[in-house]
Amino acid sequence: MRTTLPLAVAFITGLVFVITFFLNEESPLVGGVSKQLLDWLIIIGGFTLLLGVVSILRVSWQSVERRKEDWIYKLITILSVLVMAIPGLLPESWSSLFGRQEGTIYDWLFLNLQAPMMATMFATLAFYIASAAYRAFRARTAEATILLVTATLVMLWRVPMGEAFLNLFSEEIPGLINTYIMGGVNLAVQRGIIIGAALGAAAMSLRIILGIERTYMGKS
Amino acid sequence: MSGIEILQIWIIAFFTLALFSFLYKDNPFYRLAENIFAGLTTGYQVSLIWDTVIIQKLWDPMMGGQWWMFLPGLLGLMMFSRFSPKLSWMSRVPLAVVMGITAGIFLTTQLHGFVLPQMQATMSTFVNAEGFAEFFLAALIAVGVISTMIYFYFSHEHVGVLGVTAKLGIWFIMISFGAHFGYTVMGRVSLLIGRTQFLIEDWIGTFSYIF
Amino acid sequence: MTIWERFDNMDRRWVYLMVGLAVIIPFLVPMKFDISITPEVQSFYDAVDNLPDSCTVMLVFDYYPSTAAECEPMAIAAAHHLFRKDCKIITLSNIPYGGPSMAETVTRAIAKEYDKEYGEDFVNLGFKYGPIAVLKGMGISIESIFPTDNSGTPLAELPMMDSVTNYEQVSFIYEIADNATADLWISIVNAGYGVPMGVGCTAVMAPKFYAFLGANQIVGLLGGMKGAAEYEILVGKLGTAYRGMDIQSMVHFVIIALVIIGNIGFFVTKRRNRKKSA
Repeated sequence: MRTTLPLAVAFITGLVFVITFFLNEESPLVGGVSKQLLDWLIIIGGFTLLLGVVSILRVSWQSVERRKEDWIYKLITILSVLVMAIPGLLPESWSSLFGRQEGTIYDWLFLNLQAPMMATMFATLAFYIASAAYRAFRARTAEATILLVTATLVMLWRVPMGEAFLNLFSEEIPGLINTYIMGGVNLAVQRGIIIGAALGAAAMSLRIILGIERTYMGKS
Repeated sequence: MSGIEILQIWIIAFFTLALFSFLYKDNPFYRLAENIFAGLTTGYQVSLIWDTVIIQKLWDPMMGGQWWMFLPGLLGLMMFSRFSPKLSWMSRVPLAVVMGITAGIFLTTQLHGFVLPQMQATMSTFVNAEGFAEFFLAALIAVGVISTMIYFYFSHEHVGVLGVTAKLGIWFIMISFGAHFGYTVMGRVSLLIGRTQFLIEDWIGTFSYIF
Repeated sequence: MTIWERFDNMDRRWVYLMVGLAVIIPFLVPMKFDISITPEVQSFYDAVDNLPDSCTVMLVFDYYPSTAAECEPMAIAAAHHLFRKDCKIITLSNIPYGGPSMAETVTRAIAKEYDKEYGEDFVNLGFKYGPIAVLKGMGISIESIFPTDNSGTPLAELPMMDSVTNYEQVSFIYEIADNATADLWISIVNAGYGVPMGVGCTAVMAPKFYAFLGANQIVGLLGGMKGAAEYEILVGKLGTAYRGMDIQSMVHFVIIALVIIGNIGFFVTKRRNRKKSA
């Protein structure tokens, strides 16, 4: 039951979509079943995200309750969750500040706190990548030298000042970089990776449908 | 510019600088901003999922007569059994639905959407090439695709012809990864530019109103 | 300790300071180098420009606020281009953090410039969890996946959606993404339903998409802030991406200089050590 049921479910649901691919999706039976199952996928996915939220709250609350180191910050996390979630959950009919639309607390917090902070978190990576390039980007071997030279050429080509610099040598260089590095060698390598990864994903999908791949179920 | 707008900009600037302060060293301002950010990000999805998924996709159809929709609801609730060691096996069923549907869609779309068009493009560019430059590019792509796949995916020992091709594959890969690195630098710098534009144009821009 | 060894042992915060200064200086001293248009951006622009007027286009906001600096200029330029052509715009997002809010903010602001009405000329479907289900499901019926728009209005009450059932009525997909959702649009929607599409993506993702461009699975590619700046020029609405190019240039030169200095130091030290051991 604990293993057979999930395997049967994965087999049936998987098979439905393999069959759907070869049939007319707009027919009532095929379209109806697949539409229904896609709705199920969305709903289960939604619950999965909420599971993540509950998990974060649980872990943070345990830190606060046990007064672990930095518990005050965990308390701030919990309060921030509530400050963002509650006004978004309350009905718009109660106040124009509730709900998720423009001008609500939820929208204000997103635009003025969450979005800029998320952008800043990622912006700091520019400093780290510069530092990493300075420390680790060394022409130690022929392969590393190829990587370094290509990276430098692409960095120059992708900015106006760099392109002007390349044009000092020949005005054809930027076009050649685009055609032969990006649209030639890079395209070929990316294509090789895409084909290989897609074959791997298809093979893995078949293993899941046939019940050979079971790691998603965790330990038995 | 109104007082409220100026206050908003200063709040954003405070948290932006608080997060940047980590570049110097870890400090309470950074920790404060980091935890508020984590909380807000988590809170954002609570009401979004509640409204767009639970209400719109589950509750409303059930109330509209589609009583069988309690099934995916039940499956969703079964995910929470993961918190109980005794009942956690129940979460396998909704996971199996997710994995089964995803696998069913991927099995066909990965082949139809990626493998076949990419293989076809490799061959058609080669066949349709006109003139030496186009033929050279097509040949370069064909050799690159084959040598990359041999280097990455053939688990057979890289000796003989396979070894030479795999070696060629490494060189191709290094060029592509170099290009990737160049683009990654560009991407990271662009994100920094976005924040700097805010700090210099918007935040420092408010100084003339205040001072 | 030689000067090269000192460079080698330099505190990372000096590197941060150099990058910081490289970002600030172009604000004080603008350089204004010409920005050339690459073929992949030109073909994207041409494909959109050649769409029949008043056709329906999906403008997809599949990016997080973290990459707004790269992706938002693309979205803004796209909205200008599409509204100017009187295209009907359907916006949606597969991103649980901010996608629908960003779609709402961008389209509503630009719609005012072109006197476009919500519900008549553009609709924001918002977000639903699970891109695979959403993309596949819209092939059968958009309304079954999105029973209401982002504000909770039933699609049946939005006049623009009267004539749109599924992908068959969509002429073009304008995908702006910072994650693998763009791959799903290609494999599920473009390959499965034959809807032409173009991709605007972060610079980190761009090299991969040359493979799709080469296979004509996408009509064009906007790669990172440079791609956005090129599109802004073509549309004639210069924005933050165009203005960011000076700074981008300066920081790239600083990083290249740092790499060169690091390598000179590496070779000098290596030679010295070899001489010592000899």
